[in-house]
Amino acid sequence: MDHHTHSIAGPRELQMARSMCWHCQSEVAGEYFCDRCVKVQPVSKDLDYFTCLGFPRRLKIDQHQLEAKFYELSRAFHPDFYQNKSAAEQTISLGNSAMLNIAYRTLRDPIQRAEYLLDLEAGSVKEIRNSPPADLFEEILELQETLNEYRTAGRASETESALRVKLQSERNTLEQRQRDMEATLQQLFVEWDTLQDRGETTDQARTNRDRILKQMRENLSNRTYVKNIVNDLASTIG
Amino acid sequence: MAYSDKVVDHFNNPRNMGSFKKGEEGVGTGMVGAPECGDVMKLQIKVQNDTIVDAKFKTFGCGSAIASSSLATEWLKGKTIEEAQKIKNTDIVQELNLPPVKIHCSVLAEDAIKAALADYQKKADGALTEAE
Repeated sequence: MDHHTHSIAGPRELQMARSMCWHCQSEVAGEYFCDRCVKVQPVSKDLDYFTCLGFPRRLKIDQHQLEAKFYELSRAFHPDFYQNKSAAEQTISLGNSAMLNIAYRTLRDPIQRAEYLLDLEAGSVKEIRNSPPADLFEEILELQETLNEYRTAGRASETESALRVKLQSERNTLEQRQRDMEATLQQLFVEWDTLQDRGETTDQARTNRDRILKQMRENLSNRTYVKNIVNDLASTIG
Repeated sequence: MAYSDKVVDHFNNPRNMGSFKKGEEGVGTGMVGAPECGDVMKLQIKVQNDTIVDAKFKTFGCGSAIASSSLATEWLKGKTIEEAQKIKNTDIVQELNLPPVKIHCSVLAEDAIKAALADYQKKADGALTEAE
């Protein structure tokens, strides 16, 4: 499937395959309501969340615009407004509302948005196992051991307070590292958007594109590891 | 979702937790992670005459990931390299009764086994060339 043609669509034009209105058989070109009979049209399962909400495939999204679009479509599809309509329309309303909710929840969060974009552009970030960052793993496992020692150390003992100091400083370092990773991600997001805006199809642009996606993937997965251990630290030492 | 009794048992009494001393002979180490959930798994085997005489693990992750690696080390002990290659994540899923959302934990354990075997093989081949 070629997603690239979609990514240049402006917010107003939904580039979807032309199809027929399920009700009056007139042509619909991606509108959510048929021009002629005004019946609601099912959102295609193949539609990506960006297109569904009328946004181009960019990693910077105006939250207010996104929210406004979500509310607009929520009202348009809400099952409450279809109670007196046909069974077919009720089913479409339910399906569209469900899709819309997932699309909104995914795009609202910058990290989930990026993971989703990677999914679309380069196959699932979760399935592809990049070579593990061995240093980071060693560090995490070591820290995990210290955490265990801390948990089993006698309450208010000297060992406990010494370990607490150590863990607190580790936590600060890791939190800083998470922030650094997020800053790097932000830079990559901007790079991605700029590249897409230019819309070049040169070899250089393609190489750049692959590099950005790869770095994004690595940063996203490393961030997950760091975030997990930070959460664990936070819940243990408070 | 409740964990199966076997998962809980492995979680509460993990078998073979720990690691071998650095530089110990015949040890292969596999270190893998699941970006999906941020779990990290380290699995080590100690090989003598093509047979895995001991195995150890350290896992940072959910109960299923710990149970999967704990079970993997139990299974590895006494197996030949060749037999160990044949351990599949589906065997782990079956033994531990893992629900669909936790299948990736067993995949992680299988990956860790594969990585440890590959690491051992690499070291063994290296030692061989040096000896020649």
